[in-house]
Amino acid sequence: MLRIDRRLIKNFDWITLSVVMVIALIGIMTIYSATRPLIEGEHPQFYIRQALWLILGVIALFLMVSFDYIWLGRFSLYLYIVGTILLIAVFIFSKAGMGAQRWLSLGPISFQPSEFFKLIYIIMLSQHLSITKGPINTISLFRVFFLIVFLPFILLLKQPNLGTALIILAIFVPLMLAKGLHKKIAILFVIIGLISLPFLGNILWEGLRDYQKSRLIVFLEPGVDPTGIGYHISQSKITVGSGKFLGKGYLRGTQGPFRFLPEKHTDFIFAVFAEEWGFLGSLLLLFLYLVLIRRGLDTAKNARDDFGRFLALGITFMFSTYFFVNVGMTLGIMPVVGIPLPFMSYGGTALLSNLLAVGLLISIRTRRFELFH
Amino acid sequence: MNTIIIFSFFAVFFRLTDLMILSHKRLSEKAKQQHIKVEDIQIRRGIIFDRQGRELALNLELESLYCEPDSLNLDNESVRKLASTIAKEPEVILTKIPSEGKFAWIERKLEPDIAERVKGLNIKGLGFMNEAKRVYPKGKLASHVLGFVGVDNQALEGIELQYDRYLKTRGGKVFFGRDASGRTLSSGVDKEAKGNNIVLTIDEGLQGIVEKEIEKAMLQWGAAAASAIMMDPFTGEILALANRPSYDPNNPGKVNDFEKRNRAITDCYEPGSTFKTVVGIAALEENIARPDMLFDVGKGGIEVGGKIIRDVHRHGILTFNEVIQKSSNVGSVMIGMRLGKERVYKYAKLLGFGEKTGIDLPGEVSGWIRPPERWSGTSIGAIPIGQEVAVTPLQVLRAYSAIANGGSLVRPHVVSEIISPEGKLLVSLRDMEMNRIISKKTAETFKDILKGVVEEGGTGKSASIEGNEVAGKTGTAQIINPKTKRYSKEKFVSSFVGFVPADNPRLALIVVIYEPKGQIYGGVVAAPVFRGITNQALSYLDIPMEDNPHKNPLLVSR
Repeated sequence: MLRIDRRLIKNFDWITLSVVMVIALIGIMTIYSATRPLIEGEHPQFYIRQALWLILGVIALFLMVSFDYIWLGRFSLYLYIVGTILLIAVFIFSKAGMGAQRWLSLGPISFQPSEFFKLIYIIMLSQHLSITKGPINTISLFRVFFLIVFLPFILLLKQPNLGTALIILAIFVPLMLAKGLHKKIAILFVIIGLISLPFLGNILWEGLRDYQKSRLIVFLEPGVDPTGIGYHISQSKITVGSGKFLGKGYLRGTQGPFRFLPEKHTDFIFAVFAEEWGFLGSLLLLFLYLVLIRRGLDTAKNARDDFGRFLALGITFMFSTYFFVNVGMTLGIMPVVGIPLPFMSYGGTALLSNLLAVGLLISIRTRRFELFH
Repeated sequence: MNTIIIFSFFAVFFRLTDLMILSHKRLSEKAKQQHIKVEDIQIRRGIIFDRQGRELALNLELESLYCEPDSLNLDNESVRKLASTIAKEPEVILTKIPSEGKFAWIERKLEPDIAERVKGLNIKGLGFMNEAKRVYPKGKLASHVLGFVGVDNQALEGIELQYDRYLKTRGGKVFFGRDASGRTLSSGVDKEAKGNNIVLTIDEGLQGIVEKEIEKAMLQWGAAAASAIMMDPFTGEILALANRPSYDPNNPGKVNDFEKRNRAITDCYEPGSTFKTVVGIAALEENIARPDMLFDVGKGGIEVGGKIIRDVHRHGILTFNEVIQKSSNVGSVMIGMRLGKERVYKYAKLLGFGEKTGIDLPGEVSGWIRPPERWSGTSIGAIPIGQEVAVTPLQVLRAYSAIANGGSLVRPHVVSEIISPEGKLLVSLRDMEMNRIISKKTAETFKDILKGVVEEGGTGKSASIEGNEVAGKTGTAQIINPKTKRYSKEKFVSSFVGFVPADNPRLALIVVIYEPKGQIYGGVVAAPVFRGITNQALSYLDIPMEDNPHKNPLLVSR
């Protein structure tokens, strides 16, 4: 199975890899700044751990590239089953962290199964769509939704992990569209959507935890509660706004390191970066992510097979959603849903799974000229 | 997909522009409010020295007790113990502790032994902070000059207030970085700042003499109040300034406004006869009178605008000199009428009346003298003898200093130097400007007249001292009853102003006694105080006695 041939090296997608590596290194720098010791005797280890995870992730990435992704398609059902079991296992064996059950411990290492599940889910969905013939009709739509989407969505919602749950739901839509819908279904979909919107909204609203509700309320009106959840948003805006055009300079940021900004090295790391590197630096970072996204879309377009196409599309869409929702939340134009900034936010499992996803993207692009076998 | 991404990109782009460029100022202001802590520096106020380097105000390091209400766990027992240790009622302590928060004072500036005992109670959530307590080691001495500070060392009166920006140096704020839990992050910032030291023109020894003597006079005459100022007539340096009643600046909380008033500069009175100098000098300066010119005051009264101005004692014909020396009201009004109101007013202003002297102490008032166009028909009979005008003791002293120094108006001041903690001279108020207002000849002539006041036959004989010649003038004025707006029959202000040694003046001194009982005349009430002070002051200053065969035959004949 492990074949490293010349063509693989020749066609290797160095651009995607470099962009991701640059973002990840910026991430480690920013994590260091966000958690840097302010008084003697403090030695935060976050950046070191993130660096170790990065090394691990890069190894995993190369392993991923060296396999033909087609194998993943073939094993997708098993992966999906294992992933779902892990999601269920979270409820049984987990330790709650930050008011949510997301973690599983394997010896000394804790990880979030949901991070890997996203990837498995995309693989599963892509595999399923690639073997479905013709445009999606009503029956296949419901089959896909209830067989693949619904269960993990509910499980994630229960953790509660609203961010990932919404991502799961969100990825479903463009992949359906990419597969192509019957015109009738499309219209029906829109009508049902519009009619059920208030109901769905209500059901969703009722299903939300209190903190999730307050996040939404506060998003709409940040002044309501300046010390609670609204504090996140206003602190984040203050932090970003402090940056000005050229920023305060690396290690000169105050709001994150001084702990005014909560979740400074995880969900709100963009704000810490923006404060130190300013408008210009933020645009540069924005540009790097755009390159990654455009490259991903291009990979999908030129993929050798349908499975690769859906896979690339799903992964790219996942990255874009993460990126825009995270940055949007940091800038106060999206509600605070706890999702990290891909490759930058502190978090080993997320970094590893994202690098695995990048490995898949590179693998798809690298093999775009290969023939079926 | 592409559309969504491009749309999202622009949304982020515009929002970034909005936050980072357009709203930058507002947001970074907020950030600063959060991470920059402004704190008052623990100021060690500068030390105040007298002119010979003796400390009049200094700092004592004491510990202040505070609590952290959030972590404070006080049961009734510990409240009771704490209360008895710091000698307060338990209820008083409880009112000082808010239900939540990070900091609240319980008792400021505890005595060291009490602080130790509170520490021994081992109550969690209590803490101590070093604070400097302002201490005035000489107690009441020169309290009206020094002023005092509040419990936060904020300047409230006197030099402390007037020179606050020097004593506590720059702004007194320091900026720290701090984190969200309030921890201070910047290190190496000097939280303590030393203020500049101030050297006064006051001499502790002379001040002590003045304080002691007016205290004595207060008791002797049962007076309501008293003021005395001693000044170097050539430089305007205030050597001593004292008022009664007085207060202890170490306990400023107990001071009432009546005691706090620095009457020497903040209170006006009608000067009475001491003001006759104005017409006297004006007449000499304008060549309207010569010292031997005769004035017929034999009628004992003179009619001005329907009112009759009388002398206390009936005199016959007096020379110009004698008019002043015997303090003849009639003679003075005659001189005033010859001068005319314009010139009387002009010389009053020239001698500094109706305007602040500019002394470097807070609260000085200007007094007042009406301009000629607003004089009534009787004014020309009142103003030359020191009525219908309001002056401060310091203004009178300054006018007489001009006679002493040969004709120049000095600028009175109490600070001579400001010195940085490192010993650098920052400000020197030595060599202040002098402003010539009258000719030397007039000053000399008038000095001789004032010498006569203290000699046999003058009103101020009891101000004379052994060994040195005194020049001076008595003053007795009625106080206007604020209710009736008429001159009171019982309440007087007695004063004496002069300088010694007359021909080589070293000291100018004014003594003002408010509402003496029993006797009212300046020559009786204030002149002996003048003598008491100058007598001691001259020996304190080691000023040699002059040979004066007239007055001291015993000294001459072995």
